[in-house]
Amino acid sequence: MKESQSRQFFFLLRQLTGRELKRKYARSYLGVIWSVLHPLLSMVILSLIFSQLFRRTIDHYPIYYLTGYILWQAFTGATNASITTLADNKALLLKIHFPIELFVLARVYTAFVQLGYSLIAYGTMLALFRIPLQWSMLIAPLLILFLFGFALGISYLLSAAYLFFGDIKYLYSVALTLWMYCSAIFYPVDQLEGPIRWIIEENPLFLFISTMRNAVLSGLWPDPKTSLRMLLWGGGTYLLGSLLFRKNKSRMMQNL
Amino acid sequence: MPNFTQTEIAVEKVTMRFLKAQARTHSLKELLVQKLSGKHRAEYFTALDQVSFTVQTGEIIGLIGKNGSGKSTLLRIIAGALTPTSGKVRVDAKKVKLLTLGAGFDTELTGRENVYLNGALIGYSKPFLDRIYPDIVRFSELEGFMDEKIRNFSSGMVSRLSFAIATAQKAPEILILDEVLSVGDSHFRKKSEARIREMIHSGSTVLMVSHSNAAIRNNCTRVIWLEKGRIRQTGTPNEVCAAYEKAENAL
Repeated sequence: MKESQSRQFFFLLRQLTGRELKRKYARSYLGVIWSVLHPLLSMVILSLIFSQLFRRTIDHYPIYYLTGYILWQAFTGATNASITTLADNKALLLKIHFPIELFVLARVYTAFVQLGYSLIAYGTMLALFRIPLQWSMLIAPLLILFLFGFALGISYLLSAAYLFFGDIKYLYSVALTLWMYCSAIFYPVDQLEGPIRWIIEENPLFLFISTMRNAVLSGLWPDPKTSLRMLLWGGGTYLLGSLLFRKNKSRMMQNL
Repeated sequence: MPNFTQTEIAVEKVTMRFLKAQARTHSLKELLVQKLSGKHRAEYFTALDQVSFTVQTGEIIGLIGKNGSGKSTLLRIIAGALTPTSGKVRVDAKKVKLLTLGAGFDTELTGRENVYLNGALIGYSKPFLDRIYPDIVRFSELEGFMDEKIRNFSSGMVSRLSFAIATAQKAPEILILDEVLSVGDSHFRKKSEARIREMIHSGSTVLMVSHSNAAIRNNCTRVIWLEKGRIRQTGTPNEVCAAYEKAENAL
Protein backbone atom coordinates (compact mmCIF):
# COMPACT_ATOMS: atom_id res chain seq x y z
CA MET A 1 0.00 0.00 0.00
CA LYS A 2 2.72 2.41 1.02
CA GLU A 3 4.72 1.71 -2.08
CA SER A 4 1.77 2.00 -4.44
CA GLN A 5 0.86 5.29 -2.78
CA SER A 6 4.27 6.79 -3.38
CA ARG A 7 4.25 5.47 -6.93
CA GLN A 8 0.91 7.20 -7.48
CA PHE A 9 2.35 10.37 -5.93
CA PHE A 10 5.22 10.45 -8.42
CA PHE A 11 2.98 9.52 -11.34
CA LEU A 12 0.73 12.45 -10.50
CA LEU A 13 3.71 14.75 -9.97
CA ARG A 14 5.00 13.85 -13.44
CA GLN A 15 1.59 14.44 -14.98
CA LEU A 16 1.19 17.85 -13.34
CA THR A 17 4.70 18.89 -14.29
CA GLY A 18 4.17 17.65 -17.83
CA ARG A 19 1.04 19.77 -18.05
CA GLU A 20 2.92 22.91 -17.00
CA LEU A 21 5.76 22.29 -19.42
CA LYS A 22 3.57 21.39 -22.38
CA ARG A 23 1.29 24.33 -21.80
CA LYS A 24 4.17 26.76 -21.78
CA TYR A 25 5.06 26.34 -25.43
CA ALA A 26 1.70 24.87 -26.46
CA ARG A 27 0.97 27.32 -29.25
CA SER A 28 4.41 27.34 -30.80
CA TYR A 29 5.55 25.35 -33.79
CA LEU A 30 8.80 24.13 -32.26
CA GLY A 31 7.09 23.20 -29.01
CA VAL A 32 9.30 21.66 -26.40
CA ILE A 33 12.51 22.50 -28.31
CA TRP A 34 11.96 26.05 -27.07
CA SER A 35 12.76 24.83 -23.57
CA VAL A 36 16.43 24.72 -24.59
CA LEU A 37 16.35 27.20 -27.44
CA HIS A 38 14.81 30.00 -25.43
CA PRO A 39 17.43 30.08 -22.67
CA LEU A 40 20.18 29.55 -25.24
CA LEU A 41 19.12 32.53 -27.35
CA SER A 42 18.71 34.76 -24.30
CA MET A 43 22.13 33.70 -23.11
CA VAL A 44 23.71 34.52 -26.45
CA ILE A 45 22.09 37.96 -26.48
CA LEU A 46 23.04 38.63 -22.86
CA SER A 47 26.64 37.62 -23.42
CA LEU A 48 26.85 39.85 -26.49
CA ILE A 49 25.58 42.76 -24.45
CA PHE A 50 27.61 42.04 -21.37
CA SER A 51 30.85 40.98 -22.98
CA GLN A 52 31.93 44.61 -23.01
CA LEU A 53 31.19 45.28 -19.35
CA PHE A 54 33.44 44.76 -16.33
CA ARG A 55 36.15 43.36 -18.52
CA ARG A 56 38.92 44.43 -16.26
CA THR A 57 37.46 43.28 -12.96
CA ILE A 58 35.89 39.94 -13.85
CA ASP A 59 37.23 37.19 -16.07
CA HIS A 60 34.63 35.69 -18.37
CA TYR A 61 32.02 38.18 -17.30
CA PRO A 62 29.20 36.65 -19.43
CA ILE A 63 29.64 33.33 -17.65
CA TYR A 64 29.84 35.10 -14.32
CA TYR A 65 26.55 36.73 -15.16
CA LEU A 66 24.83 33.65 -16.63
CA THR A 67 25.69 31.48 -13.63
CA GLY A 68 23.85 33.86 -11.37
CA TYR A 69 21.10 34.38 -13.91
CA ILE A 70 20.03 30.73 -14.29
CA LEU A 71 19.98 30.06 -10.55
CA TRP A 72 18.06 33.27 -9.97
CA GLN A 73 15.62 32.37 -12.73
CA ALA A 74 15.01 28.93 -11.25
CA PHE A 75 14.30 30.42 -7.85
CA THR A 76 12.01 33.22 -9.03
CA GLY A 77 10.32 30.97 -11.58
CA ALA A 78 9.53 28.45 -8.86
CA THR A 79 8.31 30.90 -6.25
CA ASN A 80 6.34 33.14 -8.62
CA ALA A 81 4.52 30.19 -10.13
CA SER A 82 3.77 28.75 -6.71
CA ILE A 83 2.19 31.79 -5.11
CA THR A 84 -1.13 31.38 -6.91
CA THR A 85 -1.08 27.63 -7.44
CA LEU A 86 -3.59 26.79 -4.72
CA ALA A 87 -5.96 29.52 -5.83
CA ASP A 88 -5.55 28.48 -9.49
CA ASN A 89 -6.47 24.90 -8.70
CA LYS A 90 -9.30 25.71 -6.31
CA ALA A 91 -11.96 23.73 -8.19
CA LEU A 92 -9.76 20.65 -8.18
CA LEU A 93 -8.74 20.91 -4.56
CA LEU A 94 -12.35 21.04 -3.42
CA LYS A 95 -13.25 17.96 -5.38
CA ILE A 96 -10.32 15.68 -4.98
CA HIS A 97 -8.82 14.13 -1.95
CA PHE A 98 -5.04 14.17 -1.95
CA PRO A 99 -2.17 16.12 -0.42
CA ILE A 100 -2.43 19.72 -1.61
CA GLU A 101 1.34 20.21 -1.17
CA LEU A 102 1.60 18.35 -4.43
CA PHE A 103 0.46 21.41 -6.37
CA VAL A 104 3.21 23.57 -4.88
CA LEU A 105 5.75 20.82 -5.40
CA ALA A 106 4.69 20.42 -9.04
CA ARG A 107 5.26 24.10 -9.84
CA VAL A 108 8.64 24.20 -8.10
CA TYR A 109 9.64 20.97 -9.78
CA THR A 110 8.59 22.41 -13.15
CA ALA A 111 10.87 25.40 -12.63
CA PHE A 112 13.75 23.08 -11.82
CA VAL A 113 13.10 20.91 -14.85
CA GLN A 114 13.38 24.12 -16.81
CA LEU A 115 16.63 24.82 -15.00
CA GLY A 116 17.74 21.44 -16.34
CA TYR A 117 17.02 22.60 -19.88
CA SER A 118 18.79 25.90 -19.19
CA LEU A 119 21.81 23.93 -18.01
CA ILE A 120 22.06 22.39 -21.47
CA ALA A 121 22.18 25.89 -22.91
CA TYR A 122 24.60 26.93 -20.15
CA GLY A 123 26.89 24.02 -21.00
CA THR A 124 26.90 25.18 -24.61
CA MET A 125 27.91 28.64 -23.49
CA LEU A 126 30.71 27.23 -21.31
CA ALA A 127 32.02 25.43 -24.38
CA LEU A 128 31.77 28.57 -26.50
CA PHE A 129 33.73 30.55 -23.97
CA ARG A 130 36.24 27.72 -23.69
CA ILE A 131 35.82 27.33 -19.94
CA PRO A 132 37.81 24.25 -18.96
CA LEU A 133 35.92 21.42 -17.30
CA GLN A 134 36.57 21.22 -13.58
CA TRP A 135 36.00 18.43 -11.07
CA SER A 136 34.43 21.01 -8.80
CA MET A 137 31.55 21.37 -11.26
CA LEU A 138 30.28 18.11 -9.81
CA ILE A 139 29.02 20.11 -6.85
CA ALA A 140 26.21 21.45 -9.08
CA PRO A 141 23.65 18.66 -8.47
CA LEU A 142 24.01 18.94 -4.71
CA LEU A 143 23.89 22.72 -4.83
CA ILE A 144 20.76 22.59 -6.97
CA LEU A 145 19.17 20.16 -4.53
CA PHE A 146 19.73 22.62 -1.68
CA LEU A 147 18.42 25.47 -3.79
CA PHE A 148 15.38 23.31 -4.54
CA GLY A 149 14.75 22.85 -0.82
CA PHE A 150 15.10 26.58 -0.27
CA ALA A 151 12.73 27.46 -3.14
CA LEU A 152 10.21 24.83 -2.05
CA GLY A 153 10.16 26.09 1.53
CA ILE A 154 9.60 29.68 0.41
CA SER A 155 6.94 28.51 -2.05
CA TYR A 156 5.00 26.70 0.67
CA LEU A 157 4.96 29.85 2.76
CA LEU A 158 3.98 32.14 -0.12
CA SER A 159 1.23 29.93 -1.53
CA ALA A 160 -0.33 29.56 1.91
CA ALA A 161 -0.03 33.27 2.69
CA TYR A 162 -1.63 34.18 -0.64
CA LEU A 163 -4.89 32.56 0.46
CA PHE A 164 -5.09 34.96 3.39
CA PHE A 165 -3.87 38.14 1.68
CA GLY A 166 -3.77 38.44 -2.06
CA ASP A 167 -1.48 41.47 -1.79
CA ILE A 168 1.41 39.15 -1.05
CA LYS A 169 1.80 38.61 -4.76
CA TYR A 170 2.64 42.26 -5.40
CA LEU A 171 4.65 42.73 -2.26
CA TYR A 172 6.72 39.71 -3.21
CA SER A 173 7.41 40.99 -6.70
CA VAL A 174 8.69 44.25 -5.21
CA ALA A 175 10.75 42.32 -2.68
CA LEU A 176 12.22 40.26 -5.50
CA THR A 177 13.52 43.38 -7.23
CA LEU A 178 15.33 44.36 -4.08
CA TRP A 179 16.50 40.81 -3.53
CA MET A 180 17.91 40.65 -7.05
CA TYR A 181 20.07 43.72 -6.48
CA CYS A 182 21.29 42.14 -3.26
CA SER A 183 22.31 38.94 -5.01
CA ALA A 184 25.14 40.41 -7.07
CA ILE A 185 23.96 38.78 -10.25
CA PHE A 186 25.50 41.24 -12.66
CA TYR A 187 28.15 43.12 -10.73
CA PRO A 188 31.30 42.18 -8.84
CA VAL A 189 31.09 42.13 -5.06
CA ASP A 190 34.70 42.83 -4.28
CA GLN A 191 34.49 46.60 -4.46
CA LEU A 192 31.52 46.86 -2.14
CA GLU A 193 32.01 47.57 1.51
CA GLY A 194 30.07 48.10 4.71
CA PRO A 195 26.53 46.96 5.41
CA ILE A 196 25.70 46.30 1.76
CA ARG A 197 28.56 43.87 1.47
CA TRP A 198 27.39 42.20 4.66
CA ILE A 199 23.80 41.87 3.38
CA ILE A 200 24.97 40.33 0.14
CA GLU A 201 27.18 37.84 1.88
CA GLU A 202 24.43 36.78 4.26
CA ASN A 203 21.93 36.45 1.41
CA PRO A 204 21.25 32.74 0.84
CA LEU A 205 20.77 33.19 -2.90
CA PHE A 206 24.14 34.86 -3.19
CA LEU A 207 25.56 31.92 -1.26
CA PHE A 208 24.30 29.49 -3.90
CA ILE A 209 25.32 31.73 -6.78
CA SER A 210 28.84 32.45 -5.56
CA THR A 211 29.47 28.79 -4.73
CA MET A 212 28.46 27.85 -8.23
CA ARG A 213 30.67 30.59 -9.73
CA ASN A 214 33.65 29.46 -7.73
CA ALA A 215 33.10 25.88 -8.82
CA VAL A 216 32.70 26.72 -12.51
CA LEU A 217 35.10 29.60 -13.00
CA SER A 218 37.82 28.93 -10.45
CA GLY A 219 37.65 25.19 -9.89
CA LEU A 220 37.06 25.71 -6.18
CA TRP A 221 35.08 23.30 -3.99
CA PRO A 222 33.00 24.95 -1.26
CA ASP A 223 34.69 24.95 2.14
CA PRO A 224 32.96 23.11 5.02
CA LYS A 225 31.40 26.28 6.40
CA THR A 226 29.87 27.20 3.04
CA SER A 227 28.58 23.67 2.55
CA LEU A 228 27.00 23.67 5.98
CA ARG A 229 25.36 27.02 5.34
CA MET A 230 23.88 25.76 2.07
CA LEU A 231 22.58 22.64 3.81
CA LEU A 232 21.03 24.69 6.60
CA TRP A 233 19.41 27.23 4.31
CA GLY A 234 18.06 24.55 1.99
CA GLY A 235 16.98 22.00 4.58
CA GLY A 236 15.88 24.53 7.20
CA THR A 237 13.70 26.57 4.86
CA TYR A 238 12.13 23.41 3.48
CA LEU A 239 11.33 22.09 6.95
CA LEU A 240 9.95 25.40 8.17
CA GLY A 241 7.81 25.87 5.05
CA SER A 242 6.35 22.39 5.00
CA LEU A 243 5.72 22.40 8.74
CA LEU A 244 3.78 25.66 8.66
CA PHE A 245 1.95 24.55 5.53
CA ARG A 246 0.81 21.30 7.11
CA LYS A 247 -0.19 22.96 10.35
CA ASN A 248 -2.44 25.48 8.66
CA LYS A 249 -3.95 23.21 6.06
CA SER A 250 -7.51 23.21 7.31
CA ARG A 251 -7.57 26.99 7.72
CA MET A 252 -6.21 27.27 4.19
CA MET A 253 -8.94 25.03 2.81
CA GLN A 254 -11.57 27.29 4.38
CA ASN A 255 -10.01 30.31 2.73
CA LEU A 256 -9.73 28.85 -0.72
CA MET B 1 -34.96 -6.57 -0.15
CA PRO B 2 -31.28 -6.88 0.72
CA ASN B 3 -30.52 -7.29 4.36
CA PHE B 4 -29.08 -3.99 5.64
CA THR B 5 -27.14 -4.91 8.68
CA GLN B 6 -23.79 -3.24 8.68
CA THR B 7 -23.33 0.50 9.07
CA GLU B 8 -21.10 1.69 6.26
CA ILE B 9 -21.24 5.45 6.81
CA ALA B 10 -22.13 7.27 9.99
CA VAL B 11 -22.56 11.03 9.77
CA GLU B 12 -22.58 12.46 13.27
CA LYS B 13 -23.71 16.04 13.91
CA VAL B 14 -21.77 17.41 10.99
CA THR B 15 -21.65 21.18 10.79
CA MET B 16 -19.86 23.08 8.07
CA ARG B 17 -19.37 26.81 8.14
CA PHE B 18 -17.67 28.85 5.49
CA LEU B 19 -16.31 32.33 5.97
CA LYS B 20 -18.38 34.65 3.84
CA ALA B 21 -16.47 36.03 0.90
CA GLN B 22 -16.91 39.69 1.82
CA ALA B 23 -15.82 39.04 5.38
CA ARG B 24 -12.49 37.58 4.34
CA THR B 25 -9.41 39.66 4.66
CA HIS B 26 -7.81 39.31 1.33
CA SER B 27 -5.56 42.29 1.54
CA LEU B 28 -3.07 43.61 4.00
CA LYS B 29 -4.85 46.94 4.21
CA GLU B 30 -8.11 45.31 5.22
CA LEU B 31 -6.30 43.23 7.78
CA LEU B 32 -4.61 46.28 9.28
CA VAL B 33 -7.85 48.24 9.36
CA GLN B 34 -9.55 45.36 11.11
CA LYS B 35 -6.82 44.81 13.64
CA LEU B 36 -6.46 48.50 14.42
CA SER B 37 -10.14 49.27 14.69
CA GLY B 38 -10.63 46.12 16.72
CA LYS B 39 -13.55 45.20 14.55
CA HIS B 40 -13.35 41.72 13.28
CA ARG B 41 -16.39 40.97 11.22
CA ALA B 42 -16.63 37.24 11.27
CA GLU B 43 -19.60 36.42 9.12
CA TYR B 44 -20.15 32.79 8.49
CA PHE B 45 -22.38 30.96 6.15
CA THR B 46 -23.64 27.69 7.56
CA ALA B 47 -23.77 25.13 4.78
CA LEU B 48 -24.58 22.19 7.03
CA ASP B 49 -26.10 22.37 10.47
CA GLN B 50 -25.85 19.35 12.79
CA VAL B 51 -26.59 16.77 10.14
CA SER B 52 -26.71 13.16 11.32
CA PHE B 53 -27.66 9.96 9.59
CA THR B 54 -26.30 6.49 8.92
CA VAL B 55 -26.04 4.45 5.77
CA GLN B 56 -26.07 0.65 5.73
CA THR B 57 -24.06 -1.50 3.38
CA GLY B 58 -25.76 -1.80 0.00
CA GLU B 59 -28.13 1.12 0.40
CA ILE B 60 -28.55 3.58 -2.44
CA ILE B 61 -29.17 6.96 -0.91
CA GLY B 62 -30.46 9.90 -2.91
CA LEU B 63 -29.86 13.44 -1.67
CA ILE B 64 -32.31 16.03 -2.88
CA GLY B 65 -32.80 19.70 -2.16
CA LYS B 66 -32.51 23.09 -3.76
CA ASN B 67 -29.26 24.66 -4.90
CA GLY B 68 -27.28 25.74 -1.88
CA SER B 69 -28.99 23.32 0.48
CA GLY B 70 -25.65 21.66 1.27
CA LYS B 71 -25.84 18.49 -0.81
CA SER B 72 -22.48 18.83 -2.55
CA THR B 73 -20.77 20.01 0.62
CA LEU B 74 -22.05 16.91 2.39
CA LEU B 75 -20.78 14.63 -0.37
CA ARG B 76 -17.36 16.28 -0.29
CA ILE B 77 -17.12 15.88 3.45
CA ILE B 78 -18.00 12.21 3.23
CA ALA B 79 -15.47 11.80 0.43
CA GLY B 80 -12.84 13.40 2.65
CA ALA B 81 -12.16 16.40 0.40
CA LEU B 82 -13.43 18.81 3.06
CA THR B 83 -13.05 18.69 6.82
CA PRO B 84 -16.21 19.63 8.72
CA THR B 85 -16.15 22.55 11.15
CA SER B 86 -17.54 20.23 13.81
CA GLY B 87 -18.96 16.76 13.96
CA LYS B 88 -17.63 13.58 12.49
CA VAL B 89 -18.03 11.18 9.63
CA ARG B 90 -17.22 7.55 10.29
CA VAL B 91 -16.33 5.81 7.10
CA ASP B 92 -13.47 3.79 5.72
CA ALA B 93 -11.81 6.42 3.55
CA LYS B 94 -10.15 3.80 1.38
CA LYS B 95 -13.48 2.47 0.15
CA VAL B 96 -14.93 5.84 -0.87
CA LYS B 97 -14.76 7.19 -4.41
CA LEU B 98 -16.31 10.47 -5.44
CA LEU B 99 -16.97 10.35 -9.15
CA THR B 100 -15.81 13.60 -10.68
CA LEU B 101 -15.84 14.57 -14.31
CA GLY B 102 -13.04 16.35 -16.10
CA ALA B 103 -10.91 17.22 -13.06
CA GLY B 104 -7.86 19.11 -14.27
CA PHE B 105 -8.74 18.95 -17.96
CA ASP B 106 -6.46 21.26 -19.86
CA THR B 107 -7.49 22.62 -23.24
CA GLU B 108 -3.90 22.93 -24.40
CA LEU B 109 -3.26 19.21 -24.00
CA THR B 110 -4.32 16.44 -26.34
CA GLY B 111 -7.11 14.00 -25.60
CA ARG B 112 -4.59 11.32 -24.74
CA GLU B 113 -2.58 13.57 -22.42
CA ASN B 114 -5.77 14.59 -20.66
CA VAL B 115 -6.73 10.97 -20.06
CA TYR B 116 -3.47 10.43 -18.19
CA LEU B 117 -3.57 13.75 -16.32
CA ASN B 118 -7.20 13.40 -15.29
CA GLY B 119 -6.72 9.71 -14.53
CA ALA B 120 -3.75 10.44 -12.28
CA LEU B 121 -5.75 13.09 -10.45
CA ILE B 122 -8.65 10.78 -9.72
CA GLY B 123 -6.29 8.10 -8.47
CA TYR B 124 -5.73 5.74 -11.40
CA SER B 125 -2.27 4.22 -11.65
CA LYS B 126 -0.19 4.29 -14.82
CA PRO B 127 -0.52 0.54 -15.58
CA PHE B 128 -4.27 0.72 -15.00
CA LEU B 129 -4.58 3.66 -17.40
CA ASP B 130 -2.49 1.88 -20.02
CA ARG B 131 -4.86 -1.04 -19.76
CA ILE B 132 -8.16 0.84 -19.90
CA TYR B 133 -7.08 3.47 -22.42
CA PRO B 134 -8.53 1.65 -25.46
CA ASP B 135 -11.85 1.20 -23.66
CA ILE B 136 -11.98 4.89 -22.81
CA VAL B 137 -11.42 5.84 -26.43
CA ARG B 138 -14.00 3.36 -27.67
CA PHE B 139 -16.64 4.27 -25.14
CA SER B 140 -16.27 8.01 -25.76
CA GLU B 141 -16.31 7.36 -29.53
CA LEU B 142 -13.25 9.53 -30.05
CA GLU B 143 -11.18 7.20 -32.23
CA GLY B 144 -8.90 9.32 -34.39
CA PHE B 145 -9.23 12.46 -32.24
CA MET B 146 -7.09 11.53 -29.27
CA ASP B 147 -3.96 13.28 -30.53
CA GLU B 148 -5.82 16.54 -31.09
CA LYS B 149 -5.72 19.24 -28.45
CA ILE B 150 -9.05 19.29 -26.69
CA ARG B 151 -9.46 22.98 -27.32
CA ASN B 152 -10.51 21.78 -30.77
CA PHE B 153 -13.09 19.41 -29.29
CA SER B 154 -16.78 20.24 -29.08
CA SER B 155 -18.18 20.45 -25.57
CA GLY B 156 -20.01 17.17 -26.17
CA MET B 157 -16.76 15.45 -27.04
CA VAL B 158 -15.11 16.76 -23.88
CA SER B 159 -17.95 15.59 -21.68
CA ARG B 160 -18.00 12.17 -23.34
CA LEU B 161 -14.28 11.79 -22.72
CA SER B 162 -14.52 12.90 -19.10
CA PHE B 163 -17.43 10.56 -18.49
CA ALA B 164 -15.61 7.62 -20.05
CA ILE B 165 -12.54 8.19 -17.86
CA ALA B 166 -14.48 8.61 -14.63
CA THR B 167 -16.57 5.48 -15.16
CA ALA B 168 -13.82 3.23 -16.50
CA GLN B 169 -13.13 1.88 -13.01
CA LYS B 170 -14.86 -0.99 -11.30
CA ALA B 171 -17.49 0.34 -8.95
CA PRO B 172 -15.86 1.11 -5.58
CA GLU B 173 -17.36 -0.18 -2.35
CA ILE B 174 -18.78 3.23 -1.60
CA LEU B 175 -19.68 5.25 -4.66
CA ILE B 176 -20.47 8.95 -4.47
CA LEU B 177 -22.15 10.60 -7.42
CA ASP B 178 -22.54 14.34 -7.70
CA GLU B 179 -24.83 15.00 -10.64
CA VAL B 180 -23.14 12.92 -13.33
CA LEU B 181 -26.04 10.94 -14.61
CA SER B 182 -26.51 12.44 -18.00
CA VAL B 183 -24.02 13.86 -20.46
CA GLY B 184 -23.88 14.29 -24.19
CA ASP B 185 -26.54 13.86 -26.85
CA SER B 186 -29.46 11.46 -26.50
CA HIS B 187 -27.55 8.55 -28.04
CA PHE B 188 -24.65 8.94 -25.62
CA ARG B 189 -26.97 9.73 -22.76
CA LYS B 190 -28.58 6.31 -23.05
CA LYS B 191 -25.18 4.68 -23.02
CA SER B 192 -23.97 6.70 -20.06
CA GLU B 193 -27.13 6.13 -18.06
CA ALA B 194 -26.81 2.42 -18.62
CA ARG B 195 -23.24 2.47 -17.43
CA ILE B 196 -24.06 4.48 -14.33
CA ARG B 197 -26.97 2.18 -13.53
CA GLU B 198 -24.61 -0.76 -13.81
CA MET B 199 -22.21 0.87 -11.35
CA ILE B 200 -24.98 1.79 -8.94
CA HIS B 201 -26.49 -1.67 -8.91
CA SER B 202 -23.28 -3.66 -8.70
CA GLY B 203 -23.61 -4.05 -4.94
CA SER B 204 -21.87 -0.85 -3.88
CA THR B 205 -23.18 1.46 -1.25
CA VAL B 206 -24.16 4.60 -3.13
CA LEU B 207 -24.75 8.22 -2.26
CA MET B 208 -26.04 10.33 -5.10
CA VAL B 209 -27.13 13.88 -5.75
CA SER B 210 -29.38 14.53 -8.68
CA HIS B 211 -31.77 17.20 -9.79
CA SER B 212 -33.66 14.61 -11.75
CA ASN B 213 -36.39 13.17 -9.56
CA ALA B 214 -36.87 10.38 -12.05
CA ALA B 215 -33.27 9.24 -11.59
CA ILE B 216 -33.73 9.32 -7.82
CA ARG B 217 -37.00 7.38 -7.89
CA ASN B 218 -35.65 4.78 -10.29
CA ASN B 219 -32.40 4.05 -8.49
CA CYS B 220 -32.54 4.85 -4.81
CA THR B 221 -33.62 2.78 -1.86
CA ARG B 222 -33.88 5.77 0.46
CA VAL B 223 -33.96 9.53 0.02
CA ILE B 224 -32.75 12.36 2.23
CA TRP B 225 -34.13 15.83 1.65
CA LEU B 226 -31.85 18.66 2.71
CA GLU B 227 -33.09 22.18 3.23
CA LYS B 228 -30.83 25.05 4.27
CA GLY B 229 -28.26 22.65 5.65
CA ARG B 230 -30.66 20.55 7.70
CA ILE B 231 -32.43 17.29 7.07
CA ARG B 232 -36.05 18.06 6.33
CA GLN B 233 -37.26 14.55 5.62
CA THR B 234 -35.97 11.00 5.16
CA GLY B 235 -37.88 8.09 3.74
CA THR B 236 -38.72 6.03 0.70
CA PRO B 237 -38.07 7.63 -2.67
CA ASN B 238 -41.74 7.91 -3.46
CA GLU B 239 -42.84 9.65 -0.32
CA VAL B 240 -39.90 12.05 -0.04
CA CYS B 241 -39.87 12.94 -3.74
CA ALA B 242 -43.60 13.54 -3.66
CA ALA B 243 -43.31 15.81 -0.63
CA TYR B 244 -40.41 17.65 -2.23
CA GLU B 245 -42.26 18.15 -5.49
CA LYS B 246 -45.28 19.41 -3.61
CA ALA B 247 -43.17 21.94 -1.71
CA GLU B 248 -41.51 23.05 -4.92
CA ASN B 249 -44.78 23.52 -6.72
CA ALA B 250 -46.28 25.43 -3.82
CA LEU B 251 -43.81 28.23 -4.43
